[in-house]
Amino acid sequence: MTIRDALVYALLGVGIGIELISCLGVLVMRGIYDRLHYVGPSTLGALLIATAIWAREGPSTISLKGTLLAAFLVVASPAVAHVTARAARLHEHGDWRPQRSEGIEVEEG
Amino acid sequence: MNEWHVAAVVLISALVPCGWVCLRRSFAEGLVGVQLAGTLASLALVVLAEAEHRQPFGDLALVLAVLSFAGTLLFARFLEEDR
Repeated sequence: MTIRDALVYALLGVGIGIELISCLGVLVMRGIYDRLHYVGPSTLGALLIATAIWAREGPSTISLKGTLLAAFLVVASPAVAHVTARAARLHEHGDWRPQRSEGIEVEEG
Repeated sequence: MNEWHVAAVVLISALVPCGWVCLRRSFAEGLVGVQLAGTLASLALVVLAEAEHRQPFGDLALVLAVLSFAGTLLFARFLEEDR
């Protein structure tokens, strides 16, 4: 096994491990906001998997597609998480801003 | 069967808990499951593309990621209006 193979195995293993932790978090946490926290790390896993493909293949079409996918997920994932949290707030309270009934100190604008 | 096939199988297996969250929990929590499932399925396709050395799987992964993004935004819109 060469150093490059070891690097590929390590990147792929850690990437898949992070995806599994994300999945486990979404499964066992309670409530949408707790679950939503565990979607974020899946982007890091995608980056590591894309890096593993680069380390194995070098510059090639498939490594470019993997990188494009990871880049898209890095940009899109936080946006989707924000939209989901906002939609959940609107669904629960009718307004996304903190409510007095929640016991959160709100500064008057 | 090499390590990339194993990685793809693990990623596809990880879709099961996401499906469970979608089926058994509320609409809002299911939306989180859909979001993660889109990421996992896209990654599984790109890992399969690497395992099989088939370029079209990579294209499928990219298309799925974009459609999953649009689909989740649409479901979030439905969630907003469902109150």
